[in-house]
Amino acid sequence: MARKLSLSLSKLGRPLRELLRYELGGPLVALMALITASSILSPRFLEPYNQRILLLQTAPLALLGLGESMVILMGSIDLSPGSTMALAGTISAMTFTRFGHPLSVSILVGVLVGLAIGLVNGLLVTKAKIPSFVATLASLVAGRGMVLVLTEGQPIVGLSQYRVITEEVAGLPTMVWLFIAFGVLNYFLLKRTSVGLVTYAIGGNEEAVRYSGVRVDAVKLFNFILAGGYYAVAGLMMNARLEVAYPWTGWGYELDAIASCVLGGITLSGGVGSPLGPVVGAYMLTLLTNILILLGVNPYFQWVVKGFILVAAAAALTRGVRYVK
Amino acid sequence: MSSELLATRGLVKEFPGVVALKGVDFDLRYSEIHALVGQNGAGKSTFVKVLAGVYSPTRGEIYFKGVRVSIRNVRDAKKLGITLVHQEATLAPNLTVAENIVLGTLGKNGGVLAPLKTSDILEIARKYLEIVGLSIDPRTKVGVLGIGEKQLVQVARALAEDASVVCLDEPTSPLTAVEAERLFEVMKELKARGKSMIFVTHRVEEVFAVADRVTVLRDGYKVFSSEVSKTDPSEVVKHMLGREIERFYPAKKGAEGGNAGVPRLKVVGLTTSQDGKGVILRDISLEVYPGEVLGVVGLLGSGKTELGKALIGMNKIVKGEVYLDGVRVRVRSPVEALKLGIFYVPEDRRREGLVGIMSIAENIILPKVWETSELGLIRVPRREVSVARKWIEFLKVVPPEPNFKVMYLSGGNQQKVVIAKALKARTKVLILDEPTFGVDVGAKVEIRKLIRSLADEGYSVLLLTSDVDEALALCDRIAVLVNGRVVGTYRTSEISRDFLVELLGGRGHGS
Repeated sequence: MARKLSLSLSKLGRPLRELLRYELGGPLVALMALITASSILSPRFLEPYNQRILLLQTAPLALLGLGESMVILMGSIDLSPGSTMALAGTISAMTFTRFGHPLSVSILVGVLVGLAIGLVNGLLVTKAKIPSFVATLASLVAGRGMVLVLTEGQPIVGLSQYRVITEEVAGLPTMVWLFIAFGVLNYFLLKRTSVGLVTYAIGGNEEAVRYSGVRVDAVKLFNFILAGGYYAVAGLMMNARLEVAYPWTGWGYELDAIASCVLGGITLSGGVGSPLGPVVGAYMLTLLTNILILLGVNPYFQWVVKGFILVAAAAALTRGVRYVK
Repeated sequence: MSSELLATRGLVKEFPGVVALKGVDFDLRYSEIHALVGQNGAGKSTFVKVLAGVYSPTRGEIYFKGVRVSIRNVRDAKKLGITLVHQEATLAPNLTVAENIVLGTLGKNGGVLAPLKTSDILEIARKYLEIVGLSIDPRTKVGVLGIGEKQLVQVARALAEDASVVCLDEPTSPLTAVEAERLFEVMKELKARGKSMIFVTHRVEEVFAVADRVTVLRDGYKVFSSEVSKTDPSEVVKHMLGREIERFYPAKKGAEGGNAGVPRLKVVGLTTSQDGKGVILRDISLEVYPGEVLGVVGLLGSGKTELGKALIGMNKIVKGEVYLDGVRVRVRSPVEALKLGIFYVPEDRRREGLVGIMSIAENIILPKVWETSELGLIRVPRREVSVARKWIEFLKVVPPEPNFKVMYLSGGNQQKVVIAKALKARTKVLILDEPTFGVDVGAKVEIRKLIRSLADEGYSVLLLTSDVDEALALCDRIAVLVNGRVVGTYRTSEISRDFLVELLGGRGHGS
């Protein structure tokens, strides 16, 4: 039996190894394995209704992951995604409900809030020379505080017009199209532009890039700002899905954002990983929750499972690295 | 076999894509200093790292005191008494000298949890510091020591671990002549105490200063082995190179005396700030003309590197002026330096010069990446590769593969890639900091030729070097730097080697 298994594995081996040579290979193999396992475990998993929900849940997390990856690829870290999405969502909702501005203006305001927080993060890191972990930890705390002050801890209701983001276009909700579009945009930006090259280079060896006369700080600032924009879009998606802006939206999501990157094959030391990794990672993370619910497992159990999966992903990534800190 | 303390038979070490050792037979006798020489990339470092358990061998046998052993990790090696003194000091800078020395012995008596008594630690440390002839307080933090002292502390630690075989991986490369001399004394003292040493170096004269036997590795093969007394330096060098040395230094064009007109780069009274780390530069004045190589010659710690970094804005200038083509400029960052056409090729290539995980092409185009991009933003891989290919061909980078990752290149080829970066960015003033450091002899010749031909093409080259012979052979003029001050500037034709060495205050450290 064991021999048979190893035989069939070695037959599978060659295309598998071929696939694993690509940056996104590992995550895709893991994704296929998870999908196969889930569809065996629960027949309902592959039903269009379930997949639609899964994709809707993935969308905001995918955007958080995409933003986070811009920062992690530079060898920095961003702890502000959860708070940024909440603040952007809240201020956008207030612009709409309390100040009565049209939806388009409200959405624009939300995005601007995200970009502004990204700007603050970027300036703290590049100008004030505060390590990104601490700088964005401050944004995490202060951002959540601002949400609570603004909302007085109460949810903002009456956001049904945000539903345009969840309406179906060409067979899929707009939101899903949005995250696909942002994924493509992110890929183009990181792999096909000079800013992307510098981003990877900073993650590879920031010192050398500085000595080369490249505007390292400008690129860092740009990436932090753009990441803030991605988080804001995620916040608007939450408004649309829930039609309510909850003050605790995105609580703890910074960890899911980082986990999406790790599951997507992006190393935390920077410089390595596919720009599409976070999308795959976010889908896997959402899938795990989904399948556990379908199987009727105690919902609290999902955190434990996620923890194990994360360790497995990280272990796969550090293969060949001699030691880490 | 029993007359040998350590022996290898058919030792092979393969890395992905490279075979570093191709079946090496090697013997180390009791109380012997066995020099292991070869060009960079010959496999010397790999060989001692295999013995010390840093890498495990792909194939082959290792015998210790006549018994076949398997060394799978550093602990295995240490149990046998084989210790490696690394090229870069591997001490914890935040701990004291004494703590570093006893670190490796922890767990030997009574386990890691055995209580540590400060007085015991100090006593052990003092004992071994005395053997290596270091008269420093063992309570000093290692971070404040000079590189030579760190090397000796590493040796002391090896002794504290009761090593019978000490492998020294190019210990002299960062040392000044005086420090190297001191290390040799210590090595001879250890030999007298019955220790055996494998001494890795690429400086042939050091073999004849200290070793009993010499083995030459080339391209992963052992090509020569002999008693030191039965050979001579030129024979050893011949085996290292494997071909006749071309003219080791290129001919100089008659640029002598032709320095009329406006200097390309002129520095007047440059002084750097006190708060920075490293040497403080005081009142430096110099000029570099188009088509000229100006050597700034100084020993380690003279401020060469600090000068190079100050000129691209990485070291703060508090006083003094810099002129480019007669126009006063302020360079506050490498970004501004690049715009003006000043490029610094760092001594520490891996840390400051290259992004190891990226390809040759990506490294070359990085400084002005917008030039190969559409609208300055959208990358055009085809264009990048063709630009890179041009420079790879011009500089003869091996392998000539634009998509090859830089981290897998040898030292000499890495240096070429950094120089390619500078040239691709259309540099006018090229500042080269020890460009032939840690580069094999063949590449050394090529790089020196290149430096000369670049000057002949009109580049202004500022060559920061501690190698007196290199400076004399390549430079049109030489400024001598001692303790952060220029003590004199001379035409190369007007100065003798002896005088230059005397100015530097020590023996020249040539190769």
